[in-house]
Amino acid sequence: MKKLTPKVIKSKSEARAWSVWVINYFTACGFMELLPWVGSGYDMERFGILPVPSPRHADVFIIAGYVTTKAAKRIKMIYDQMASPKYVLALGSCPMTGGMYWDSYATIKRVDEIIPVDLWIEGCPPKPENIGHGIVMAANAIKGGLKGH
Amino acid sequence: MISDIESRLKSKFPDSLLNVVSKDKRITFSVKKEKFYSILSELKDIGFDHLSDVTAVDYIDEQEFELIYHLWSHREKIRAIVKVRIPREVPTVKSVVGLWTGAQMHEREDHELFGINFEGNPNLAELFLEDWEEIPPFRKDFDTRKYVKEKYYQEDEQYPIVKG
Repeated sequence: MKKLTPKVIKSKSEARAWSVWVINYFTACGFMELLPWVGSGYDMERFGILPVPSPRHADVFIIAGYVTTKAAKRIKMIYDQMASPKYVLALGSCPMTGGMYWDSYATIKRVDEIIPVDLWIEGCPPKPENIGHGIVMAANAIKGGLKGH
Repeated sequence: MISDIESRLKSKFPDSLLNVVSKDKRITFSVKKEKFYSILSELKDIGFDHLSDVTAVDYIDEQEFELIYHLWSHREKIRAIVKVRIPREVPTVKSVVGLWTGAQMHEREDHELFGINFEGNPNLAELFLEDWEEIPPFRKDFDTRKYVKEKYYQEDEQYPIVKG
């Protein structure tokens, strides 16, 4: 029988990468595709990802779905409350291009004009597999030394 | 029951009903502006205790707004729809908050999106749009594409657009 040895976490960024706490801002369909990760199906907690109720506890800010001009101000307020280092993850086409609301008078077209976005998972909406790929990419980037803001 | 409502309103407001259409469990009145509040009040007395919606249509060719009140009677399970035309130049109408308190938010929404003034509504503050400086966006003479292109896209960009 193979002897199990405990994994030693060598660096601060690696510790950070496997203990990502997220605050969610969901306005639309993007969350429906993230739900399998929150639940036991894909189970994001095995990657150390935990949804937290307050932006002051969060490391990653996930924005899914269209951002109205009214919501944009709230997003900025939430982002400002987060402690450094902080990362922003945009989910779906809407926050970064406007998506199907590209000609709407009430939605902003690029959320990175308000706050810096570190990772954008594309799709309308993205599939759970794409989201998982993005989450692992984000964790690896943090492990590799992505500083955040 | 539907025919009772129709005959009761026709005898009470003979000159104010422009058109009445009834089908199954639904009755639609097109009424004149002068008497629309009395007609709504009468319908409430008949038993239409729920106001489902207050909505508006912009008839720009006729220079009129049409306000549509959807009423529902919980007791009789009948829907009544009251349509009233108001001039587009002076879009002012009496609020029905006194009859149904729930009208407050519907009227506030119509005020924001169509620019209709409801006299007697206690709070017509902005609802969905913040810092809006253009004409109300649901009016037909509001050019959505032009506004979006000027506000959100650079001058030399074609739209639809996906920036790389």
